[in-house]
Amino acid sequence: MTNQYYEFFCPVKVIAGKAALEHIPYELTGLGAKRPMIVTDKGVRAAGLLDPVIAACEESGLEIVSIYDDVPPDSSTDVVRDIAGIYRSEKCDSIIAVGGGSAIDTAKAVNILVSEGGDDIAAYSGAGVIKHPLKPFLVVPTTAGTGSEVTSVAVITDTAKSVKLPFTSSFLLPNAAVIDPRMTLTLPPHITAATAMDAMTHATEAFTCMAKNPLSDAYATAAIKKISTSLLQVMDNPKDSNGRLELAQASTMAGIAFSNSMVGLVHALGHATGAICHLPHGLCMSLYLPYVLEYNLESIRAPLGELLLYLEGPEVYSATPASRRAEASISALRKLRDELHKRCKLPRTLKETAGVEEHQLDTIAELAMDDGAMMFNPKEVTLEDAKAVLKRAWA
Amino acid sequence: MLAKRIQPMVFQARRLYVELMFQVMGRALQAVSEIDSAVQNEADALPDGFLFEMMVMPNGPRLIVEHTGNGRFHYHGDSAPRPVDLSIQFKHIAHAFLVLSFQEKTSEAFANDRMLVDGDISYAIRMTRVLNRLETFILPKLVAKRAVKEYPSNLHLPEKLLSAARIYLKVATNFVETVRA
Repeated sequence: MTNQYYEFFCPVKVIAGKAALEHIPYELTGLGAKRPMIVTDKGVRAAGLLDPVIAACEESGLEIVSIYDDVPPDSSTDVVRDIAGIYRSEKCDSIIAVGGGSAIDTAKAVNILVSEGGDDIAAYSGAGVIKHPLKPFLVVPTTAGTGSEVTSVAVITDTAKSVKLPFTSSFLLPNAAVIDPRMTLTLPPHITAATAMDAMTHATEAFTCMAKNPLSDAYATAAIKKISTSLLQVMDNPKDSNGRLELAQASTMAGIAFSNSMVGLVHALGHATGAICHLPHGLCMSLYLPYVLEYNLESIRAPLGELLLYLEGPEVYSATPASRRAEASISALRKLRDELHKRCKLPRTLKETAGVEEHQLDTIAELAMDDGAMMFNPKEVTLEDAKAVLKRAWA
Repeated sequence: MLAKRIQPMVFQARRLYVELMFQVMGRALQAVSEIDSAVQNEADALPDGFLFEMMVMPNGPRLIVEHTGNGRFHYHGDSAPRPVDLSIQFKHIAHAFLVLSFQEKTSEAFANDRMLVDGDISYAIRMTRVLNRLETFILPKLVAKRAVKEYPSNLHLPEKLLSAARIYLKVATNFVETVRA
């Protein structure tokens, strides 16, 4: 009898496509909410992305009671407490997060406080602390990469203690994720590229790491196919709303995949690099992906070979001998990175980022060794291995 | 009919096995921290007084060890002197049995959602490395290969045998001292 076992959970309603924003009033009303608060950041507001959301609600007679637009890139416990205070004083009854990973994580944390009570979000840190459903919560992503709209995790910095607090509970998942191509249409090229490669990494690691399962595999492969097909088209024609929708959907699908099968060494190295050198997460993912796949190659040859079908299409897949498909998959990813570098200078090596010093590599490796993602990497990683991968990724 | 009759005995035997393995592992963790520098280096990053627990939910067998400083562990048996800092919890005794009878690797058990981590994930990763190191010492290579993700290529037979002998001797001594006390 096989020992295979897996769990898969995603109760988030996905509302995707043309005029998706106009479904928000119906969804909130269906959840019994009448006084929503929007949580977002200044960049989103300045880009005019709130306007269609507000218009969609007002046209249906749903008043946005409060808008908090000052979420910083690294959200903190103080910000969460302040927003919860506004939510209470304005007697709001639901939250709409509009933005990228930080706005979404902040809104998740605010939802904990306003639902569970109190002002100390740190008290709810950890896994399984929250025991009850939270207030109605909708997420409108404005980047196509993090997948935060379908993950049950939030990370908030405790400024007083200078530590990052993780929150894990299925109750953090929003009631609905609203994927509307209008929200990503104005993303600048380098952010489009980095966030799409973030989603590509989520899907690739979901498909090749230890907790892969048949359901997450289906989401991962579909996401990879969409990104491979649409990313360069969108880079060449940023106003291609069909392509934008494909990338946004791919990001959500990759999010569903990795939140049910976890990620590995690419993320461990990326988290450490982000913490030490403050490089954007998507950039780190794009940078490390081929080097880690090469390192893991002999442990993931079969699934990595399968991915060639979704990366390059059926003709290349059938023309490539089975024994060479894994290497061909890595080459396809390298080729994609080269194309992105041509179009927006997305770095392919640590040296190209100009944000990392060579002497920092050992510190990055040491920090990565304690990252939770390390557990799910298919190969046991030693400190020396991590250093060797970083050295290869240097230049 | 027969299967139904012996089922309670099977459950009882499984529970006893898990309890015994926790007792051996707890003592072996203390022992390996006294003899192996790699384990000491890993443990040294834990705060002094750090309490680590491995248990079966909801109130099943458990082992508790404390980092007493300088990379050394002290086995506390199944009761903690104060709230633990890190708890790795098997969801069911059947899942603990799968891991402790080496039918499922620790990393696989995490990947299969058999276990939960309550506490700092980075410390859990560190403790898993310590447990893996211990298992590569005290289990025959064929069994150890089933218990850890990758058997270390640089662990040669003389070092393994010598370390295993020292760990087992310390475990046995600790058992005898516990009985005498």
